[in-house]
Amino acid sequence: MAESAPQTSINIPQIIAVAFVGFFAIRWFLNKPSSPGSAPGSSSSSQRGQQPDLTKINQLATMFPQLDRRTIAWDLHRNGGSVPATTERVLSERGLDAPPVTWQPNIPAPGQQAPSASVGSGGARKEGSGRKEDDLITRYNLQGRVGGKGKEVVPSEEEQRKSAWSSDKAARAEGLRKRREEMVLAARRKLEAKGAEGA
Amino acid sequence: MNSVASKRLFQEYKHLTTDPPDGITAGPVNEDDLFVWEAMILGPEGTPYEGGVFPAELKFPKDYPLMPPTMRFLGGVWHPNVYPNGVVCISILHPPGDDPNHYEQASERWSPIQSVEKILISVMSMIAEPNDESPANVDAARMWRERRPEFEKRVRADVRRSLGL
Repeated sequence: MAESAPQTSINIPQIIAVAFVGFFAIRWFLNKPSSPGSAPGSSSSSQRGQQPDLTKINQLATMFPQLDRRTIAWDLHRNGGSVPATTERVLSERGLDAPPVTWQPNIPAPGQQAPSASVGSGGARKEGSGRKEDDLITRYNLQGRVGGKGKEVVPSEEEQRKSAWSSDKAARAEGLRKRREEMVLAARRKLEAKGAEGA
Repeated sequence: MNSVASKRLFQEYKHLTTDPPDGITAGPVNEDDLFVWEAMILGPEGTPYEGGVFPAELKFPKDYPLMPPTMRFLGGVWHPNVYPNGVVCISILHPPGDDPNHYEQASERWSPIQSVEKILISVMSMIAEPNDESPANVDAARMWRERRPEFEKRVRADVRRSLGL
C-alpha cells in the first residue's frame, strides 16, 4: 500500500496529461477537414481540391459570371469552402487570386458532363475553347446571310459610318444590331476574299 | 435612368454611335440595362489578329465612372494579356489610385476622365502590342515570346474559325 500510493500519485497527472493531449489531438483531426487555411499540401485537403463542391462553385459562378470557375474553385479550396468568404473577396478591391497553373481540379462546365481531368492545358482553357466553337456567324444568327453568292446589299462605308442617333429606343437597338452584324459580315467577306487570293 | 452612372453611360453610348472610332462598335446589350454592354473590336491591321472581329462584354459597376468596368472577350482570345476565360487584363481597367506594387503609374489606371471609347482603343492597341511583363495567359505569353510563328499561326487560325471559315 505504502509503495503503490506514490506510484498512483505520479500516474494520475500523467493520465490527465495524456487524456488532455489526446483530446486535442482527436479534436484537431476531426476538425481538420473543415478548418479554413489548412496546408494545401496535406493529403486530405488536396483530395478535397480535386473534388470541389460543385454546388458552391455554381452558386458563385451565377453571382459572378465574369469569373473563371477554376478561380472560384481555387478560392473556395483555400478558404475551406466558404461561399460568403469568397463573395467578400470578389467584392473587395483585390478580387480573387489566379490559381496556380499546377492546380487542375476536375470542374465540369455547367450543363455538360464532367470532362476527364485535363492535363497541362488546364480546365479553364478547355471551357474557353468550348465556347469558341460557337463562331460569330452562329452567335449573331447570320447563317442565312453567308455562304450565298455574297450578293446581298452591301452598305457602303459612308452609309455605315453615318449611323445617326435616333430618338427611338427600338430604332437605336436595331441600328446597333445592324452595325454589329455588318461588322462580322464585312470581316468575313474580306477574309474570304483574302483566302481566295492566296489560294 | 436617373443615376449619374446611367446618364453617363447613355451619353457615352450616344457618342460612340454618332462618332464611332475605326473598327469599334459598342453599345448596351439592352437599353433597359445600361450596365451591360457588348463591344466589338476589329483586329488591328498588320497583326495576326487582322481581319478578326472580337466581341466582348463590358460590365459596369453601379458607381461608374468612379470605378472601371470589367471587360471579357466572348469566346476568348489567345493573347498574353487576356485570361483564358476571356477577361482582359489592362491597366486602364484597374481601379484608380497607385498600384500597391508600384508597377503601374496612377495615370495609366482607371479614372473618371477615361471612357468606354478610351478603354476600347487601349484594348485595341494592347491586342497589337502585348505587354509581356504581366501576362494573364502564361501559356500564350510564353508562346508569344519563344515561338512567335506558332503563336501567329494559332491566332490566324482562331480568327478564321471565329468567322466560320
